[in-house]
Amino acid sequence: MIEPRDEELSRIYRDAQAPVPPQRVDDNILAASRRVAGVGPRSARSGFARRWGTPVALAATVVVTFTLTLVAFEQRTGMDTAMSEAPVANRASNVLSVEPKLADRLESLSPAELQPAAPTPTRPAVAARRDRSEQRATGNAAPSVPLGTGRPDFVPEVPRTSEVLRKREEAKPAAAAAPATNLQSNEGSAVAQPAPLPEAPRSAETLRQMQRAPAAAAGSLRDSASTPQAADAVSGVASRLAAPEVKERTPEKWLEDIRRLKTEGKTAELERELNEFKKRYPDYRLPEDLR
Amino acid sequence: MSDCASILSLPAGALPVQHHRGAEALHLRRMRGEASDEELMLRYGKGDAGAFEALYRRHRLPLYGFLLRQVGNADTASELFQDLWMRVVNSRGRYEARAKFTSWVYAIAHNRLMDFYRANGRASFLGHEESESVLEDLPAVEIAPDLRLDRQRAMERLYAALAQLPGAQREAFLLQQEGELSLEEIAEATGVSRETAKSRLRYAVAKLRASLVGRES
Repeated sequence: MIEPRDEELSRIYRDAQAPVPPQRVDDNILAASRRVAGVGPRSARSGFARRWGTPVALAATVVVTFTLTLVAFEQRTGMDTAMSEAPVANRASNVLSVEPKLADRLESLSPAELQPAAPTPTRPAVAARRDRSEQRATGNAAPSVPLGTGRPDFVPEVPRTSEVLRKREEAKPAAAAAPATNLQSNEGSAVAQPAPLPEAPRSAETLRQMQRAPAAAAGSLRDSASTPQAADAVSGVASRLAAPEVKERTPEKWLEDIRRLKTEGKTAELERELNEFKKRYPDYRLPEDLR
Repeated sequence: MSDCASILSLPAGALPVQHHRGAEALHLRRMRGEASDEELMLRYGKGDAGAFEALYRRHRLPLYGFLLRQVGNADTASELFQDLWMRVVNSRGRYEARAKFTSWVYAIAHNRLMDFYRANGRASFLGHEESESVLEDLPAVEIAPDLRLDRQRAMERLYAALAQLPGAQREAFLLQQEGELSLEEIAEATGVSRETAKSRLRYAVAKLRASLVGRES
């Protein structure tokens, strides 16, 4: 009986060398298979990638460059802001050191004179200030208020250019106000120290107010005096406290003030003012009537 | 048939090449932990070109041998071979591992051959059937002892007889030898019943054995 499978025939059949397809056929088939699978040499980059690869790469480069430039610019402006704010504190101490007369003048005042002129800050205000100082020291405070801004809702972020410029403008009066604030807040001890920087806006406001209406400020101080003697003292103190404008007054104006003291017969003050004037302007030639 | 005979008859002195086929190759692949044909085809369907190359390496020689010994012409066989693999490539997304890959790919080869025969006016080539009565007349013969010793000559005789077989019987024999298909798989690939496939195989074997019995005239 013939079986459908004959192992002997199979062995003889398989002894023959298997025919091999032509190489070009192998190449065609394998190339087609790779092309269809999308990994062949020609299709290593798809049509989309070939078409859009270069423009997308260029666009990405431009975007990255622009972003980096913007970030660098904003960082730089942020640094400028910090640097412009730092001198606020320096300027405050400088003003005090350049104008020792203010401290000297305060030192010369008796506590009685000082009392009505600038009432000691109320307890809540002191406490609040101390709290703020403690918060700053412990670092638990809300986002620190940038120097010279005084805005409680300030969110620390990279400032925009216009904002930076505005802050700089605000910082200038704040710097100028710092010594005056010191005078007001530390008058009891008569020690001139740089004012806490966050107080600068309020100090600036006070200074502006005093610059705008020194007479009114003095008047208000005078009104707060309870006795005639106190009123005189307050008057002197008020006029002297209003004197911070001397920082800005010219030598001629100063001499005119001194001349007025002479006219009024205030000899002690006259001498003190003259000495200060000579210290401040050692090369200035005094007029004949004041020598 | 004459062109078939010229190709299928190996030139004298051709050295036999021992290479792994069918069940042997499958066993080796399992030993090595290699992926099955079906897994490779599915991977290729997902875009793994390397899977296709592995698949192509496995089935390149058997499929080409099947086609070449069927059509008897290297150029035609190459054309059919390339077309066959292109169909495999283009079917990658539709392939489902419901049947053996070999059954599927040899069915494609069979269909491609039928197209070729129809186009060349030889549609009846694969439809030739012999009656069971003829099969009963074929005796189970022993291969001549001298041919058992002279394997080169036996091989030449076998290939000459294979070229003379009717197309359907040769196809069944080649599907069994090259594709390692079972009777059922041969029947499925050629679109006939199992009994028909078995009958074709028995005729082919009987005629091939008969070619190895007597001395050459």
